[in-house]
Amino acid sequence: MKTTISALALLAGLLPGLAHADSTVRFWYHFDNPENPMSDLIAKFEAENPGIKIDAMNVPWNSYYDNLYTSIVGGNAPDAAMLKMHALPRLLEMEALEPLDDQIAAWEGKDDIQENLFDLTRAEDGKQYYLPVQYVALYLYYRADMFEELGLTPPQTCQELRDAAVKLTRDTNGDSKIDTYGFGFRGGKSGHEHWGSFTLGATGVALDNSLTSDAGVAGTQFVIDLFQKDKVFPPSAPNDGFQEIIGAFKTGVTAMTIHHVGSSNDLVEALGDKVAAVPVPECGGGRWTTFGDESTAVLSNASDKEAAWKWISFLSTKGNNALFNTATGQLPVTKSDTETWQGHEARFVEATKQSLPFAKLLPASSNTPEFVNTVWPANMQRALLGQITALQMNEAIAELFADN
Amino acid sequence: MTSIPVPEQAGSSPSRGTALWRQVMPLALLSPAVLVTLAIVFFPMVQTAWMSLHEYVLFRPKNFDWVGLQNYLNVFQDEVFWISLRHTVLWIAITVPAQALLGLATALLLNQQFPWRPIARALIIIPWALPSVVIALMWAWIYDSNYGILNDLLLRIGILEASIPWLANPDTALYAIILTLTWQGFPFFAVMILAGLQSIPRSYYEAASLDGASPLRQFWHITLPGISGVLFTAILLRTIWVANSMDVIFVMTGGGPGYSTYTLPLYAFLEARTNLNFGYGSALAMTFTLLLLGIVILYLKRSAKAVQ
Repeated sequence: MKTTISALALLAGLLPGLAHADSTVRFWYHFDNPENPMSDLIAKFEAENPGIKIDAMNVPWNSYYDNLYTSIVGGNAPDAAMLKMHALPRLLEMEALEPLDDQIAAWEGKDDIQENLFDLTRAEDGKQYYLPVQYVALYLYYRADMFEELGLTPPQTCQELRDAAVKLTRDTNGDSKIDTYGFGFRGGKSGHEHWGSFTLGATGVALDNSLTSDAGVAGTQFVIDLFQKDKVFPPSAPNDGFQEIIGAFKTGVTAMTIHHVGSSNDLVEALGDKVAAVPVPECGGGRWTTFGDESTAVLSNASDKEAAWKWISFLSTKGNNALFNTATGQLPVTKSDTETWQGHEARFVEATKQSLPFAKLLPASSNTPEFVNTVWPANMQRALLGQITALQMNEAIAELFADN
Repeated sequence: MTSIPVPEQAGSSPSRGTALWRQVMPLALLSPAVLVTLAIVFFPMVQTAWMSLHEYVLFRPKNFDWVGLQNYLNVFQDEVFWISLRHTVLWIAITVPAQALLGLATALLLNQQFPWRPIARALIIIPWALPSVVIALMWAWIYDSNYGILNDLLLRIGILEASIPWLANPDTALYAIILTLTWQGFPFFAVMILAGLQSIPRSYYEAASLDGASPLRQFWHITLPGISGVLFTAILLRTIWVANSMDVIFVMTGGGPGYSTYTLPLYAFLEARTNLNFGYGSALAMTFTLLLLGIVILYLKRSAKAVQ
């Protein structure tokens, strides 16, 4: 018995030493595409950094942040993770992130990161917790063949979009049923990106009390009218998410929708030259589109912060960043990879570039995730269904951000 | 029957030792199960009750401020709570009877003699055996307004003139999910009732036939009393499960459109898990537990009676 206890004690004494010799970085990411190059990236990194193992976990997007926040509180957070800017305020409140300023200052790859990306991803306290890994800006997809058939030009303003959508909503096979709807609106989670382009571009309107102004309410009313009066959205629009809007666009059920370069390869495969893109229209005096950011960060509970930094900086380095973005379908953050980038057709990269000057991030507020996950979808759906007015919807959102 | 050897202890009389061992042994044998239940059921319940008396938002883990019953007062002034409660009542009141009736009809059919009966009995369990997420995704596609088979069939046979967005229409969304859950849950009733049916002696039916009782009277006076115990227990259990079930709703609509498919467990889950407001989410969960307690007590009383 004594021998067994001694052996166990010896083993227990050895284990920490073994763990130290071989650091493991637990990394969380979210890729829609299950056939992704993460294992290739890990193999390359581990070959270059003997002694560091990467334990990467692809966490489903819908519950990514729910899992992350609870894992942090539960003391089981990953060492590093892919993160969006809207999560930053909450993560800072939780003291869950490690500042990266010193590491970035000493990192030789920092000058290869595209201009402004560090500025865009800097926290309000002036520190850098995020290392950019990919980016996109949302734009308007349209069916070039349908526009040509009806003699339409891509819409430059909200009014032009409405006119085009009304003409594009039609019965194409003579069975008295609508076969094509003008616009595929995302009424489910993340649909605030569509609504924002119609509402937040208006002069003086932002995600604050200005939403309840006449201009703010007019933006929301414009969306409601497109659904209720003009009937240019499919009837399923209130619940539609990413799969539905892209599926409907690919099959010709809709003639326009808003998304980013990440879906362009899939759309080109289905539609070829029939799909084209332009920046979102000007609505109420200005344009607004979502800057789709994605960064990586080291969490403060990381057992080996240096190893975690090595891994995330590896992902934002020339070559690796390009490989990473072939899986996510977004755009590389390194200048050198951007120059040689052939991951998307040029017209979609061009639409992204044209959208960057007015692409915006959501407010750096700990209430932003609640806006994205529950407040916006529930209120937008109710407004589309006539259960509340445009003013009531905007008041609910303004109240949420006023609570900050 | 095997006897358990009782160890004799030095320094005490065998009869005292035996009596003590007999008193302690059941407690010792039960204690692991009791400890596990305390740890994984009662401790979280007490923790939920405690959290419901605090303002506790998960992304501000250092702030755990005592607010007394404020969360409960907020619950009763919350429009979404009342909407969710109404939906929960509808959800239980339609789903459980529908599952029970469909299960009863299926059990009566499966109790008849016909070829391939064992295969039919095995196949009927499939909806119950499938994971809820698979069922929810499958039915979401069936209901899809653009590609769904339900709209396609109804359009082809001329019942509909235009596709209905079953899950995006607030008038149909809840009932569409109720139909899904009915499909998922009826095999439970079918299997339970079938077991009950097989315990009724054939001689009762033979005697009733000789006395000239019609099949309907035989069903009313022999079958129903014979399965009433099983049926009652199954309904109680299923009511508790259905009341707490939110996975299918979460996957199919996430509670939308608007609050059209919010039920109380889903609302509590979204408040706690998505909005990270554990204080208010716990108050919602506790309120729902108290509302459900009547049915739970009824079930526990019945279980205790059965044990006696």
